[in-house]
Amino acid sequence: MKLLHIAWRNVFRHTRRTLITAAAISVGLSAMVFMNTMMNGVDKMASRNIIDYETGHLEIFAQGYYREEGAFPLDTIMQDPALVIGKMKDVSGIKAISPRVKFQASISNGIDELPVLGMGIDIAKDAEVFALTNAIVDGAYLQREGDVLIGKDLAGDMDLEVGSFLTIITKDRNGTYNAYDLTVSGIINTGHPLFDRNIAILLIEQAQELLAIGHGVTELSIRASNENRLDDLKKNLVAEVGEDYEVFSWKELNAAIFEVSGFKRAGQFIIALVVVIIAAVGIINTMLMAVMERIPEIGTLKAMGFSNSGIVRMFIYEGGIIGIFGSLLGCLIGFLVSLYFVYVGLDFSEFFGNMDIVYPMKFIIKGELDYLMLLYVFLFGIFVSVFVTLWPVQKATKLQPADALRHV
Amino acid sequence: MVQTINLYKDYRIGKVLFPALRGVDVKIKDGEFTAIAGPSGSGKTTLLNIIGCLDIPTKGDVLINGTNINQLTSKEKASLRRNEIGFVFQTFNLIPVLTAYENVEIPLILLETEASRKKDTITSMLEEVGLGEFINRRPNEMSGGQQQRVAIARALIKNPSIVLADEPTANLDSTTAKEILGLMQELNEKHKTTFIFSTHDQLVMDFSRRTVSLRDGKVVEDKTKKRGSG
Repeated sequence: MKLLHIAWRNVFRHTRRTLITAAAISVGLSAMVFMNTMMNGVDKMASRNIIDYETGHLEIFAQGYYREEGAFPLDTIMQDPALVIGKMKDVSGIKAISPRVKFQASISNGIDELPVLGMGIDIAKDAEVFALTNAIVDGAYLQREGDVLIGKDLAGDMDLEVGSFLTIITKDRNGTYNAYDLTVSGIINTGHPLFDRNIAILLIEQAQELLAIGHGVTELSIRASNENRLDDLKKNLVAEVGEDYEVFSWKELNAAIFEVSGFKRAGQFIIALVVVIIAAVGIINTMLMAVMERIPEIGTLKAMGFSNSGIVRMFIYEGGIIGIFGSLLGCLIGFLVSLYFVYVGLDFSEFFGNMDIVYPMKFIIKGELDYLMLLYVFLFGIFVSVFVTLWPVQKATKLQPADALRHV
Repeated sequence: MVQTINLYKDYRIGKVLFPALRGVDVKIKDGEFTAIAGPSGSGKTTLLNIIGCLDIPTKGDVLINGTNINQLTSKEKASLRRNEIGFVFQTFNLIPVLTAYENVEIPLILLETEASRKKDTITSMLEEVGLGEFINRRPNEMSGGQQQRVAIARALIKNPSIVLADEPTANLDSTTAKEILGLMQELNEKHKTTFIFSTHDQLVMDFSRRTVSLRDGKVVEDKTKKRGSG
C-alpha cells in the first residue's frame, strides 16, 4: 500500500511529462475505439441490408440449386413451394415465409439495354419478410401485373421514372427468349447496391409465366422471430423439410462478404498495432527517463534494504497509474468521437460516387459501439503501460547498489 | 563486530584496472565511533560500501557479527541491510517526493512494524535529531543540515547495530558539520550503535576516538585517542 503511495507521488514529480505520455496513450487508444466502432457499423449495416432486402434470415432451396453466388439455374428450382411451406407449419420460431423467383434478365428502355437480376415476389408475403415497402422513394409498391419496381440508380442510368415503360428480356426454362413490357410503378432506394442498381422486381406470377416454370420458385425466404437463435431454427428446418431441400443462413449465403470483412479487421488490427507501438514508444521513453534519472535513488532504496522485486513493483505501479490515466482518457475520447458517428454517421458518397463496391451498403457509415471492446481497450492500455516499464527497471535493479548510488 | 580480512577491490574502467583496496585488515568493535580517513581516491568509500553489502570485494572477507557476507545471496544481503545496517550519505539521498516523516518511515515499512508503534517511534526519533517541527517538510524545503538530520534519523530508526556514514559532513558548512557530528556522537553513546564514517576532514577526525587512515588502498595508520583527550 505504501509502495503505491510512493509511486503515486513519483508520477506527479514531472506532471507535464506524465500528461504528455498519458496523452500519447489516449490518442492511440481512442483511434482504436473509433476504428472498431466504424468497422462494427459497416458490418452491421451490411448485415441489415442483406437480411432486410436480399435473403431474410434463412433461405430454403431445392437440393442442388445453390452452388455459387450469382448463378440462377432454372433446372433445379423448387417445383412445389406449397408442399415445403406445409412441412414447416409446425416449426416454431418462424415469423414469416415468402417465395421469390430470381432470374438473369436484361431490361431495355428502347435505346439502351442493361443486364439485371429479375425478381418475382409475392407482394403480400414479401412485405412480411422483407422491407422493400419502406424503401420506396417515388411512386408505389407493385399492385398489378405489368408493374415493375427498380432502384434509383438503375432509373438514373436508364432515364426511367415512375410511369416509364421498359422491356424485360430473358430466356425461359426451355432456352427460348421471352419478353414483357412493364411499367415502372415505383423507385426504391435501399442502400444495398444490388437493389439500387441491378434489379427489376415484378409479380411472382408474371415471373413464373416469363420463365415457364409453372408454380415453381427459386427460393423460400424466412424471417425468424428471434434472430439470435438462427442455428436452432435452421436445425429444426433441416429436419422437417428433408433431404430434397437445403437450408442456408444469411451468413452462409454471404460468406464472401464476411471474408472481406475479415480482411478489413486484419487491416484494422495492423493499423491499431502501429498506433499502439507509437504510444508504447512514448511510455518506454518516459519510463526510461524516470528510471535512469532515479538510479541513485534506486541505490538508496536498496541500501535501506529494499528487495529488487519491491523496486520493480513500485515502477510497475507508476507505469500502471500513467496507463490508467491514458486509457481512461483514450476510452473517453474514443467513446465521445464514436458517439457522434453512431448518431450522425460519416458520408463517404462524395468520395466514392457511383463506384461499384462489393459491400452491400452505401457510403453513409454509422458507427456501432461495442462496450465490451471499450473495456478491452482500457485494459489493453494499462497492460501495455505496465509491460514496457518492466524492461528499463529490470535493467536498473541488476546494478550493485554501490554502482547505482554512484550513477550520474 | 566488523572485521575485514585481507580485503581487495579492483575497478575496471574500459581496459584499465584501478586497484581501490589492496589488502585491508580492520577490526571494529561494537559501539565504536570510528573514522576512516584519507585523501580522495584512497579507498574509503569502497571500504564502507563493501562493509555495507553495497558492493562485492575482488578478494578477501568481511565478517559482520561473525557472518561472512561473501557467502550471502543478494536477498540475504538485502535482509542484512534492512535489519542491521543504517546508511548516511554525503548527498543525504532522501526520497524527494516524501516528507521527513515518510522518509524515516521507509525502514519501518520494510520491517513491517505495527502502525500503532510506528508513529510514536518516528516522531520521537525526529525530535531526538532536532526536527520535531519539520516532520511534514519535503527535502527541498529543508537546509542541508536538516536533510542530513533526517538521513541520520532514517538510519537509526530501526535500531541497527552498525551505522555507515560516507562523508556525512562534506556538503555542510563547518558549524552545521559540528552539530551533526555532535549529534552522531550523542546517539552513539546513547544507543551503543557502532558508527563508521569516512572523511578527509580534520574536524571529523578530531571528533572520533579512533581514526583509521587509508592511502592508496592500504591502512597506513590506526590511531586511538586516550579517553578524555578528544
